[in-house]
Amino acid sequence: MSRVLSCLTTAHVDVGGDYAPSATPHALIMAGNDAVALRGASRLTLAVSEHYTGWQVQRAAYFYAIGLHDSGELLAYHWHPHGKSPVLDPHLHVRANIQLGERWLGKVHLPTGAIKLEDIVSLAVNELAVEPLREDWELLLNENRT
Amino acid sequence: MATRTDNEIRELTPEQGQQLLDDKARQYLGISGEEFRTRWEAGEIDADDEPDVMRVAMLLPLAG
Repeated sequence: MSRVLSCLTTAHVDVGGDYAPSATPHALIMAGNDAVALRGASRLTLAVSEHYTGWQVQRAAYFYAIGLHDSGELLAYHWHPHGKSPVLDPHLHVRANIQLGERWLGKVHLPTGAIKLEDIVSLAVNELAVEPLREDWELLLNENRT
Repeated sequence: MATRTDNEIRELTPEQGQQLLDDKARQYLGISGEEFRTRWEAGEIDADDEPDVMRVAMLLPLAG
């Protein structure tokens, strides 16, 4: 995770929880799960955290939020397979102030496949005008995907 | 643009994790980390209730 993050930010990653297979996952949290500023004209921010379980290091939950500096979240990719939410599959929240009947778009769970951190980095650089911090970012992402 | 090394990784103790959870629960939701954990485990809080719930819930494993 820290390698992929190094494409966009110098923020540290906090690690903790249980490494052994158990009900308690192992957590990786970038910068306390705060939004960190990304380089580029789009003035975006990013917050990242992931949970893993087992010796095989299987991802068990994720939170990737892309925001606009001073304006909060724009896009939030969630996967939380446990908890009270009726939607336990990977989904996207678009934090737009648009009402759809009795619901707000920001509350709607837009279905996605499982999103990887590499996908978020690609999206940021290729389509959201974020400047990468390392020249080998594409190579690094491709290596991580294989 | 120079090629960089990976980002710093900090291994937190459960006590440090509890402190981080408490700090962020207060910062984002205005409640203590312990209250957040209690309400989360009781099913009183939905990860999608508001944007910052998920942000805080992801910190729970750090606190043991």
